[in-house]
Amino acid sequence: MKLEIGNFQVRSIEFGETSSYMDGTLTINKKEALAVVREDEHITDADIVLTKPGDDVRIVPVKEAIEPRFRLNGGPIFPGVTGKIERVGSGKAVALKNCSVLAVGKHWGSFGDGLIDMSGEGAKYTIFSKLNNICLVADTDEEFERHEQQKKNHAIRWAAHRLAEYLGSIVKDMTPESTELFELGPITKREKKVNDLPSVVYVMQPQSQIEESGFNVLNYGWDTNRMLPTYMHPNEILDGAMIGASYMCCSSKWSTYDFQNCPTIKSLYKEHGKTINFLGIIMSNLNVSLEQKERAAMFVQQIASNLGADAAIIAEEGYGNTDADFIECFRLLEEAGIKTVGMTNECTGSDGTSQPLAALDVSADAIVSCGNVSTLIELPAMGTVIGELESLMRDGLSGGWEDDDVLGPSVREDGSIIMANDSMFCGDSVLGQSIKTVKEF
Amino acid sequence: MKKGILYLNQFFGQIGGEDKADYAPAIKEGVVGAGLLLNNLLEDAEITHTLICGDNFMGSNQDEAVEKLLGFLEDKEFDIFFAGPAFQAGRYGNACGVICKAVKEKFNVPVITSMHEENPGVDMFKKDVYIFKGGDSAAKMRKDMPKMAKFGNKLLKNEEIKGAEVEGYYPRGIRFEVFLDDETPACDRAIDMLLKKINGEPFVSELPIPELDRVPIAPAIKLADAKIALVTSGGIVPVDNPDKIQSSAATRWGRYSIANLERLGNKAEGAFKTIHAGYDPAAADADPNVVLPLDALKAYEKEGKIGSIHDYYYATVGTGTAEGEAKRMALEIIEYLRNDGVDAVILTSC
Repeated sequence: MKLEIGNFQVRSIEFGETSSYMDGTLTINKKEALAVVREDEHITDADIVLTKPGDDVRIVPVKEAIEPRFRLNGGPIFPGVTGKIERVGSGKAVALKNCSVLAVGKHWGSFGDGLIDMSGEGAKYTIFSKLNNICLVADTDEEFERHEQQKKNHAIRWAAHRLAEYLGSIVKDMTPESTELFELGPITKREKKVNDLPSVVYVMQPQSQIEESGFNVLNYGWDTNRMLPTYMHPNEILDGAMIGASYMCCSSKWSTYDFQNCPTIKSLYKEHGKTINFLGIIMSNLNVSLEQKERAAMFVQQIASNLGADAAIIAEEGYGNTDADFIECFRLLEEAGIKTVGMTNECTGSDGTSQPLAALDVSADAIVSCGNVSTLIELPAMGTVIGELESLMRDGLSGGWEDDDVLGPSVREDGSIIMANDSMFCGDSVLGQSIKTVKEF
Repeated sequence: MKKGILYLNQFFGQIGGEDKADYAPAIKEGVVGAGLLLNNLLEDAEITHTLICGDNFMGSNQDEAVEKLLGFLEDKEFDIFFAGPAFQAGRYGNACGVICKAVKEKFNVPVITSMHEENPGVDMFKKDVYIFKGGDSAAKMRKDMPKMAKFGNKLLKNEEIKGAEVEGYYPRGIRFEVFLDDETPACDRAIDMLLKKINGEPFVSELPIPELDRVPIAPAIKLADAKIALVTSGGIVPVDNPDKIQSSAATRWGRYSIANLERLGNKAEGAFKTIHAGYDPAAADADPNVVLPLDALKAYEKEGKIGSIHDYYYATVGTGTAEGEAKRMALEIIEYLRNDGVDAVILTSC
């Protein structure tokens, strides 16, 4: 497969008469953009708010992030989500870089939602603080889940996907400033010198633990809970096959933006033909019952073995219960003689002394640790809040609380906050961008 | 000027050799013996007193020794406490660990010592005390003492501590997140580790697998006479969640009466529900007995299969809950279970 992404570096964003892009400035016709958002009648209230790195701004509750894209050979950017099903990973697309569309609740948050600070101490905790953000702040008529801790957030997440596609369309007839080429041929048709290199698979375990549809990561619109591990081409991941989940503690979460820009895939591409033969992706999942966990790990082992993988990188979107899926998969890959490196985050408790993963095995001897969900973070008030600050403590966000004997509430009257890293929006970047690790103290 | 106190054994405190190993605890003003070196190395602090105790005295009369030594410190002002270095000397290593731990607990000041990796004191006290990696004999004094002093200076100046490996003390089983100075992203670290692993070169995992804490299976009991308690991490609570147990990363637990119930009523009836955020609550809210099986246990009780059911059940939430918190909560719950003569527990999750 051969995928060409034409990039436009967005340096500033403003509202204007006509949606356009020129010399790094993206201009958005707000009315037109909101009309795209309002295509779904379940959106009852919507606004677009712009913010950039360095602003005295806090954004919460953030439900999803997407890089604006447009597919030049027709077809939706997210097949099975913003349009019909069709295979992605080939052809040409354009992308607005250095920016993201954020789906933000006007009032209501849920367990998997997160927080982003655009400046100050809090800005170091998530890569989304370094992007120009187009915040879709919306409310919906999804009354059935208004006061539920677990929300599907369907209307607002889908509206953000449509908005990202609309914004991408602004540059569809323009010449990109630069082009990224992703090309990887069929496994049996590669040159001998490539085939002679150690072959590597990338095993992805996206979040799929909720039995009811609507909460989990989607693969071409299909709920990953209903899926057995399967082989995929890396370009499919980069080109919109995967949609981030609504469920999962937020710092562990992989947003759609993270899938579109998966740094580990890009690094594997870079090494392909030099130090490794990159075989592709085994898309697995994370399960609830032990039998499901074992079945998925068994499939991963089987696919990796029969592809002839010598080595694997395995990444887990979650912690706690899902550590069992991660460790079992790690163990079975090692058992099959496949040299494996794991990528995950840890939960060591506020005093740092808890067992870092809920499941452990001696075979997991090579792990890159991307962060600690338990890290306590205390931050001053910010001048402006996009969304609703109270949601952090009121709505059951994984890293916020209403009250605590020692720490008090997560949100204080003066607007300052104390929270666990758990709710930093996609903060642990297990897909590869994390510059954090966890060390012994 | 900050103040420090140093603990030495009879030898380094210049009382004498093995023949003076029964030397009873004593305190001396200022520095003695090896303390001179430490005092010179401290930048903005001085050693005001030296505690001395014979290794055998500490070994055979530990409680008495600790009590006396702590007693000496009661009227002293100090900001930091040092002991040793103890090198490979087992009794001295134990003494340094014992007194450091006791001083930390009583006076809440940082405590620092140094031992060779084969000193048994390392494993005994590394979780409680900063123990620096030291040499095997007193010949290494000029290497080991500066490490202790340097770290002491850092602590006293509130400088950033960069972790066990960088600073040079034994890991304490405390793991915290850090931002890497060189900002190498995780993907590059993973590829680097993978290539090393493929090529058979040494590599360092960022998450060393700790020793597993396995609990042996308990001996069987006679069910027909047994009082059984129900404990759950499945988040089943009275609908108003009176103890405000958190939906994830719980630090709280609750104790709720089931004395007069045949089964748990559900959420719609205003009785019990789940607050667990790690699983779909629908089934448990409709019938909390699927998580906390009071109905089944009552049936067993009627059949005479079990003796009786404990009048209370205990609940917390086990999603994202730190293992250390879980252990603490369990120990707190166990006290109630023991007091009420519970013979066995059925522990349910979700």
